[in-house]
Amino acid sequence: MPSIDLSKRLRRLLVAVASLTLLAATGAAQDKPAAAPADKPAAAAPEKPGYAGSEACATCHEDISKAFDKSPHHQVDVNKKKGWEGRACESCHGPAQKHSETTSVDDIRNPAKMTAAAADKTCLTCHLNQPTHAGRLQSSHAKDQVSCTGCHKVHADGGTKLVARKNAAINAQCSGCHITAMAQFQKPMHHRVPEGAMSCVDCHNPHGSVRPAMAKSFASNEPGCFKCHGDKRGPFPFEHAPMRFEGCAACHESHGSANPRMLTRQEVRLVCLECHANLPVSKAPVAGVVPPAFHDLRSPRYQNCTVCHQKIHGSHVDRNLLR
Amino acid sequence: MKTLLLFVTLLPLLAQQPPAAAPAAEPKQEAKPDAKPEAKTEAKADAKDAQASPVPTAESWLTGSIDFGYRWRTDVAGSVPTYRSIVNLGSGPKIFGADFTLIDPKHRAFDRLDVRAYSLGDDPYSSFYLSAKKARTYDLRADYRNIAYYNAVPSYADPLLARGVMLSEQSYDTHRRFSSFSLDILPGNWFVPFFAYDHNSGYGTGVTAFVTDGNEYPVPNRMNDLTNLFRGGVRFELRRFHATLEGGGTTYNDDQNLYQNGGTNLGNVNTRVFGQQLSLTNLAASYGIHGTSNFSKGLFTANATSWLDVYGQFLFSQPDSDVRYQQLASGNLFLQSQILFYTSQQYLLSSVAKLPHTTANLGFELRPLRRIRILESWLTDRLHGTGSANSALTLNATSGAQQISSLLASSIATNYSQQQVDVIFDVNPKLTIRGGHRYVWGDANYAVLPVAGLNSADQGTLRRHVGIGAITYRPFHKLSLTGEVEGASSGGAYFRTSLYDYQKVRGQARFNATNTLTLAADFTVLRNDNPNAGVKYNYAANQASLSLFWSPLSGKFGDLQGSYTRTQMKSDIGFLAPQDLSQQISSYRDNGHTATALLNIKVPAHGVFAPKITAGGSFYISSGSRPTSYFQPIATMRIPLCKNVAWFSEWRYYGYGESFYLYEGFRTHLVSTGLRLTR
Repeated sequence: MPSIDLSKRLRRLLVAVASLTLLAATGAAQDKPAAAPADKPAAAAPEKPGYAGSEACATCHEDISKAFDKSPHHQVDVNKKKGWEGRACESCHGPAQKHSETTSVDDIRNPAKMTAAAADKTCLTCHLNQPTHAGRLQSSHAKDQVSCTGCHKVHADGGTKLVARKNAAINAQCSGCHITAMAQFQKPMHHRVPEGAMSCVDCHNPHGSVRPAMAKSFASNEPGCFKCHGDKRGPFPFEHAPMRFEGCAACHESHGSANPRMLTRQEVRLVCLECHANLPVSKAPVAGVVPPAFHDLRSPRYQNCTVCHQKIHGSHVDRNLLR
Repeated sequence: MKTLLLFVTLLPLLAQQPPAAAPAAEPKQEAKPDAKPEAKTEAKADAKDAQASPVPTAESWLTGSIDFGYRWRTDVAGSVPTYRSIVNLGSGPKIFGADFTLIDPKHRAFDRLDVRAYSLGDDPYSSFYLSAKKARTYDLRADYRNIAYYNAVPSYADPLLARGVMLSEQSYDTHRRFSSFSLDILPGNWFVPFFAYDHNSGYGTGVTAFVTDGNEYPVPNRMNDLTNLFRGGVRFELRRFHATLEGGGTTYNDDQNLYQNGGTNLGNVNTRVFGQQLSLTNLAASYGIHGTSNFSKGLFTANATSWLDVYGQFLFSQPDSDVRYQQLASGNLFLQSQILFYTSQQYLLSSVAKLPHTTANLGFELRPLRRIRILESWLTDRLHGTGSANSALTLNATSGAQQISSLLASSIATNYSQQQVDVIFDVNPKLTIRGGHRYVWGDANYAVLPVAGLNSADQGTLRRHVGIGAITYRPFHKLSLTGEVEGASSGGAYFRTSLYDYQKVRGQARFNATNTLTLAADFTVLRNDNPNAGVKYNYAANQASLSLFWSPLSGKFGDLQGSYTRTQMKSDIGFLAPQDLSQQISSYRDNGHTATALLNIKVPAHGVFAPKITAGGSFYISSGSRPTSYFQPIATMRIPLCKNVAWFSEWRYYGYGESFYLYEGFRTHLVSTGLRLTR
């Protein structure tokens, strides 16, 4: 019976997940005593030739060290498994013994001054194999040499986070480069980004995505817009093809617009008629050229197509999207 | 919401409690040989602070602030519906924002707990966020938002405007509530199980049109939809390899109802049809929409060798829907195909649809030489849907009852593929160039059978070659220049307004002129042409922005930030007017100026008295197809009253105007005042 098979499989899966969780938890628990004394690694640090140890760094860079101690990266300093116990600073900046003696900036590696590729390589030594980077090759950030440190404060200076988490702070950070995108939100019809109700990363994945414009996905691979606009998701027996073929941006300005409903044109009928134009295209056929039946557009009744074709995103009921 | 308000209000009271024995406990903790390393470091840092600072409690276990007060709004001059569609802020007591962090020095239930809440108190966008973490044990995040969606712009969807009736027949007054919870177990470990739950519901009322042959009737509309999303999976994070396996599902309900109880609704057509006035007297229509979906996801990244990274994703979802639509309507109704007047109709429909959707992506980054990287990626996205609808329409006319049944089947399919290769060359540490090629191809078709109406069968193909060039130049540490050019030639596109033969140029510059002055510039140019006979589409858009941030004397007396953006857009495409098939051009023009500025002034302090004044705001002015002006000046003042209390006051103005739709303009002032408590 398929149902019995399914329940057996589920049970096996649960047992496997539980066993792995237990195994991992045991491993995690075993790690803890090993890293217990916080000052021990610093003492052990000079064992490696050329390394000075984090405590030596903290002598001069006290502010950074204090902030770093509260950041998630502090794990590197105390977790034996990471391989940089007591030498977290040098895991990114390289051996610092010479620098600690000369205090010269030429004797230390500074990822902030390196090429994006070199800086990223440092970060990705630990972080490459994480889910956020699965879309990295599609990311225009990676291609345009926007390095990890462009957004992430590695030392978490001034706080305990490596990156902005509050909506207003995230939006401010993105607007540092994407000024034109931020200006679009100042148009009257806009997503509530300037108000702080949304942030850029609600819709975009800055690490990359399989969708255009690094847009986020909903429920695996559906457009991220459906996370909020669930009533437009369907599936509909009677689809409006642009929704599926080109997405919401076929008709809407996703950041902001002067037009109602963030449409690309000032009147609904023009949005519709630019495709439903009744002008056959012979060389390279395009979809949707057939116009609606006889409608006298001089009458106000027909000037807004969505008064009648109200289920314009797709209909469960009517092939002409009327209800 | 009330619970949230209560919670956020009580937090500062908690904050007033002394931090118990925490400072005393910390040195003890240091003495424990088996204390957690994080705790020891924390304690050590606290001890250091205690030595350095004259304040006895070195660092509080609870820090944060809460802003609360009252907002007054003057009467809205002009269009209230437009004001509510765009701004929608009202008067009343508010919690403008609350932000608290609790750090448990003993790392008991959590290491750190963050709570944030904004705009509580009947504001149009309220949000609440909670995050709790315990290192290598769990990471919990909860996010709640309640956003009011009011949209009743009078110029939109108003066929009765010529008769002086301002009623958007596609308007709504709804709220959307989003809750999102996610839990990672054993974060930072090599094996991380995770679970998440999202809840998204919408409810409210609106106006829509009930459409029949010969007339459409604006009627009230009650909306109520709900989506639940459950997902869970595991992440394997190893040194050279990562894999994420995720599975989940959604449930969806949409119970929209249209109704009219009595009265005579003459609809949008007031001319008689064959001598009779069409009307609607009663209506009850309900959409019983239910949907489910299951989905699965697999991601991997691998650092195969020192010169090769490999990435891949496989994503699959299969949403389906099941609908029971019922409609009862009465009045003087009309069936055009039979020139039949009838008094009532019953319409029953059941429909189903499935939309399996598969996406796969594979790529690698190859580093054959130290300065050269080759990025190759391939993507395919396949969506193949089917649907069917079975309906029965019963018409009751004076001549007798008549039933019309129909069975419709539909299909939709789109196959999209993309292959891209980029070669990145670090010419020197200051200069990086990139060249690449993207080939995009696909096909799409859509059909509803039997063929009838406007939605029958359609298809399109997509073929596009795109050449890419980019440069990143950092002549010195303080200056960064990035430019990218794309040029595309297409052999097919899905729609007349799709990208066809296009050129896109993007540029960004960032210059830290001095330690106190940063300038940034950003511009984008897009030209798109489809020269094919029957299309003749010309589109051009330019956007250029400049921004600055100036904080003289390291911001001791304040700072200034501002930006200015100029946008120009021009689009021309022909169409045949349906009424007489005359050739017409749809021309769209938009010339916009957007500016934002914020000046922060810190008045020199006298004891705790250190007022901070902020003034600025934004404006958007455009000419063209929909000339619009939108002003949002703002001024705020914050005066500390004592160490942990500050008084603040804010003035805002919203002014909106449209040259072609003067009746949509509005102006209003908002004044808020309140206290900020900090700890």
